[in-house]
Amino acid sequence: MSHIMDSPDKDNREESRKEEEAKAKGKALVDIVNLVSLFGFLYGSLDNRLDFDEALARQLKKPSPNYRTRLESNLLACLGGISLVLIILQFATGILLLLYYRPTTAEAYQSIIEITNQVPFGWLIRGLHYWGANLLIGAVILHMIRIFFTGAYKSPREFTWVSGVVLFIITLLLGFSGFLLPWNQLSYWTTTVATDGMSAIPLIGETLKFFVRGGLEVGQLGLTRFFASHVVILPGILMIFLAIHFLMVRRLGIADPL
Amino acid sequence: MESEENRGKQWRYGHEPFYPHHIIKQVIQISVVLAILIFLSSTVPPPMLPKADPFISPDRIRPDWYFLAAYQFLKLADGFSFLGPWAPKFIGVIGQGAGALLLLFLPFLDRNPSPRPGHRPRAMSIGVVIIVTYIILTFWGYYW
Repeated sequence: MSHIMDSPDKDNREESRKEEEAKAKGKALVDIVNLVSLFGFLYGSLDNRLDFDEALARQLKKPSPNYRTRLESNLLACLGGISLVLIILQFATGILLLLYYRPTTAEAYQSIIEITNQVPFGWLIRGLHYWGANLLIGAVILHMIRIFFTGAYKSPREFTWVSGVVLFIITLLLGFSGFLLPWNQLSYWTTTVATDGMSAIPLIGETLKFFVRGGLEVGQLGLTRFFASHVVILPGILMIFLAIHFLMVRRLGIADPL
Repeated sequence: MESEENRGKQWRYGHEPFYPHHIIKQVIQISVVLAILIFLSSTVPPPMLPKADPFISPDRIRPDWYFLAAYQFLKLADGFSFLGPWAPKFIGVIGQGAGALLLLFLPFLDRNPSPRPGHRPRAMSIGVVIIVTYIILTFWGYYW
């Protein structure tokens, strides 16, 4: 760079230099904050590469529609979000229960009693998981009814609906598989009756019943399989479909208010 | 991409920014739900029933409330036993499977382009009938 030549864009250069200095001052402060906080340290270095800040700002600026009335706006736009919060809560309380639950026919019932009576706040965690499951099913059903009546599944959102129904079915299966885990009379016999119904399915019915029960009767292998489904298999599938569902909602936007 | 963001959507009743307006509403709603949940968990403990015994079947077998309608449907399907011994279970199970498939592919069955309830009398009435049936079957399954 030669500073001797007097060019018309000298002023511009001057201005841009001042801007650079101001930016550097701002950046210095950001860097100090980033240094003293681990999160900032990670986030800052990630942000330099991935532009999180810009993405976040864009998401936060996204407009969200008003509905006809305030009440409508509050009732219609909350059910999906409430379902998600309850799912996160089920994950959290489920993981805590997993620390004490013993998935064997001999020990399962006893471990539930211990969780309820001996583990600190175990009764609360179990209660939250139990009631959270019930509220979650209710929220998902209401969410689906709302989408149906406001016609929000119509083109171009057909596959958002399809993924939502898959999520609904997985949620029901999670309820069904979790029901057996306490290993009490009601859960044992209800599971026996429900799995017996599977034999009515043509061709694969009997095989499916045998596979789900892990034998001719619901027993240790059946409990193992229900436990595996409830804590690993179904939550895994649920997370995949949640990601698909939210990506589609994000990409296509929320349906127009009526 | 950028232009798409800046254009914004022309909603029928206007719009509000996602942050903070929409977020604060969601936080309030979620707080109410969590309050209900904590209240229920602290006051109504989950049932503590006797331990499973494969040799003694209880008088009443009753699934969780959200499966009561399906269970009642299975019991009602026993009315088809005059068709043969295979009929009750087959109709009860396959009928519900077909219902689930219809629900899954609803957007491809309902080709009415308008989302407004007033323009979709058939879809609305079918929806109401299904919901009312579900509620009736649930109560029926609980008390019978």
